[in-house]
Amino acid sequence: MEKFKSIIRDYPFIAFIIAFVILAFVPSVVFTDVYQSHLATLIFVNIVVAAGLNIVKGYCGQVTVGHVGLFAVGSYTAGTLFLYLGLGFWATLPIAIIVTAFFGVAMGIPSFRLEGPYLALATLGGGEAIRLFIENGNFFRSTFGISDIPTPSLMGYNFDSPDRYYFISMTIMIIAVYFSFSILRSGVGRAFMSIREDPICAAAAGINVKKYKILAFILSAMFAGAAGAVYAHMPPGYIHPNNYTVIEMVTFLAMVVLGGLGHIWGGIIGAIVITIVYDLTRPLYKYQLLIFGLTIVLTILFMPKGLGGFIDRYFLEKRFKKKTGTEKTT
Amino acid sequence: MILKTKQLSKSFGGLKAINKVDFELQKNEIRGIIGPNGSGKSTFFNLVSGIYDSDPGSYIEFDGHDITFAPPHEIATYGLSRTFQLLRLYQDMTVIDNVMSGYHTRVPYKFFDAVIGRKKIWDQERAIKEEMMELLSFVGLADYAELNASELSGGQRRLLVLARAIAMKPKLLMLDEPAAGLSPVNVDNLMKIIMQLKEKYGLTLIIIEHILKVVMDTCNSVTVFDHGQKIAEGTPAQVKDDNAVIEAYLGKKMDDEEMRKALAV
Repeated sequence: MEKFKSIIRDYPFIAFIIAFVILAFVPSVVFTDVYQSHLATLIFVNIVVAAGLNIVKGYCGQVTVGHVGLFAVGSYTAGTLFLYLGLGFWATLPIAIIVTAFFGVAMGIPSFRLEGPYLALATLGGGEAIRLFIENGNFFRSTFGISDIPTPSLMGYNFDSPDRYYFISMTIMIIAVYFSFSILRSGVGRAFMSIREDPICAAAAGINVKKYKILAFILSAMFAGAAGAVYAHMPPGYIHPNNYTVIEMVTFLAMVVLGGLGHIWGGIIGAIVITIVYDLTRPLYKYQLLIFGLTIVLTILFMPKGLGGFIDRYFLEKRFKKKTGTEKTT
Repeated sequence: MILKTKQLSKSFGGLKAINKVDFELQKNEIRGIIGPNGSGKSTFFNLVSGIYDSDPGSYIEFDGHDITFAPPHEIATYGLSRTFQLLRLYQDMTVIDNVMSGYHTRVPYKFFDAVIGRKKIWDQERAIKEEMMELLSFVGLADYAELNASELSGGQRRLLVLARAIAMKPKLLMLDEPAAGLSPVNVDNLMKIIMQLKEKYGLTLIIIEHILKVVMDTCNSVTVFDHGQKIAEGTPAQVKDDNAVIEAYLGKKMDDEEMRKALAV
């Protein structure tokens, strides 16, 4: 067991390969109908967005409320590339990531001067502007939405149904989570955290605050772009501006907050919980927003570090007790 | 010469917080800076470390680099580290993360290696962590490494801030009131640790301190600020007897004639 642990520590990607293999068997072993595969794909898309949002909001501390706009940029880049050039998933995915990265720069520039709620307002405007631009432009098929975006195929095998597309979204999710883990656990993650805690002290410690802020925005935008492209190509391949409203943004925020701001697993736990709860409460759709709003407020009040921090705290206290023999209370 | 300023000035509106200060510091020196509140000591630190931009006509040189217009992160890479009067601890990070973030300028790997997550990254990260744990046990915080910095006591926070500033292996360390709010025993302990760290890392020190005993005991030389100007400089013994210093700190020294006049009124 010790040896296995040290191998994982040196080569973390092995853990991700194991996770890949386990997740690959989930549809055939656990799922009972196609809808569950569809739900799983939605969870994976949300995990990618939330993991990206956790970088910029949880780690770097920049309150961005325009992230759903970046998600929309990813989706519509994929959609329009198919619509006008007939490109498939394997071409649209990388282009969507790159295009969204540029939008991430634009979204990040206000953070040089604005902070907290003011930055939230600026980015909220940015995100809504993107949605309204799409909704009112014939180029993007305005409110008709883009339909029949094809599913990807690989070596003659077409991932054309939800239980097949599951493998595409799962792969992208695993890769994205792997990247987010290695970024956040390295010195870059620490630099992000110091900027969140105290930008002046971070600068005095040799961290280029502007560079790292914009880097956080670019990275999280790339995650959102990848998620957007996966979402666009998801069967039945239909995207509509209404999928990218402030309501979706609140849902993403609820994921990160519930999972734990600044916790490495934060976005992932939150995305799983919120997406499943969202699905279970569909009959109560009138009250869904109320539920998520309340979730955010209550989590911040009573569990400021989210589920992730809650679990961490439990193990930390156990270890501290073992080491020093005393109780550490907060 | 490690630090040199010429005609250093900074005004906030009409107030001249720092007014034409010439300052020179030799390697391995321990320099104390004293002065009443509002005399410009902290402003001087902020100007040197690049947090504030100095007024036109100023010149700052550090270790052979002209840093007059350099941003703070660039100055830090030349080897200048500082602490803050209000600590500016990273409250929501663990103690070990606090210290490791001070290591930033010395992190050896490139960003893209970190994204891919190669094995050598994790080896280097572990080496950094070990080195920083050593530093933590040197200042006596090793047991608290995994706790949040906000859970430490006041004295421990001062030690943590010191360890974080040392983590980058600076050439010059500027301490802004390192002993403020400590009990006399803790002050002695802290100064002992600072002196040990100076020996260990070959540091040059500038210390702002209000506890005169600390300054007089540990510093090779003392600079006195008042109203943004340098009013005296020299060894602690010279400064102690300087009339301008006594006036700034204690009020005017009166001779018998003046005393008699003052009492008669």
